[in-house]
Amino acid sequence: MEITATRDQVSRALTQLNQQLIGLGLDPDALIRMELVLAEALNNIVEHAYCDAGHGNIALEASVHSNTIWCHLTDSGRPMPGGKLPPARRYDLGALDVQDLPEGGFGWGLIHDLTSSLIYDRSGAQNRLTLTIDLDC
Amino acid sequence: MDITCETQGPVCIMRVISDRIDAAIAIQFKDMFRDMVACVTGPVVLDLGQVTFLDSSGLGAVVAARKLLGADRTLELAGLNPAVEKVMQLTRMNTVFLIHPNRDAALAAHGVAPAA
Repeated sequence: MEITATRDQVSRALTQLNQQLIGLGLDPDALIRMELVLAEALNNIVEHAYCDAGHGNIALEASVHSNTIWCHLTDSGRPMPGGKLPPARRYDLGALDVQDLPEGGFGWGLIHDLTSSLIYDRSGAQNRLTLTIDLDC
Repeated sequence: MDITCETQGPVCIMRVISDRIDAAIAIQFKDMFRDMVACVTGPVVLDLGQVTFLDSSGLGAVVAARKLLGADRTLELAGLNPAVEKVMQLTRMNTVFLIHPNRDAALAAHGVAPAA
């Protein structure tokens, strides 16, 4: 599917995709993991690759084979910083006061935790992210 | 999206009327919560029973809501659906918030008997 790079359109596309895949009888827990990973990856593209400009396209392809959900995301926004995937950021929450609790920075941690593989490459003016979610884990 | 507010004994129960708290409505949630807590005192329970999806932006908004209450008050959560619970566990935010199975359990924890 083609998604215009705004938060509203990402939200709408994920709801639609989830309904389609529930209809296929896929494991509900795998769909939760997929929706979460895609929400983080897509909103990163909206926010960072397209700088919240309110336009730009994201192509999302999802397929299921070999007990795995495969997702391919392609966009024409800015490349990832340094041309590579950002690392997962981890917080020591127990050491923080209430007012210092983080309100962001969870996205890549969630993506790394919930995917079984994650590949980024820049090809010409396009970012391509391929990720897989195991159906049973 | 909407938030309803109900006072029961010492507790204010805020119920989120939305299937999702995601990047599309996180700011709206935060603004609405801020306006509503300005008029209440004491502990607040955020009833997420209707919310079936929370992403990291939504989580950030819930954390921001927690901070709005300050260190002297508590924000407790109730009624986490599986997708919401997963995000709380993976980010370890389940160690920051007191979490009740549902609204009635949250009220009972504050000494309010459920309605007969």
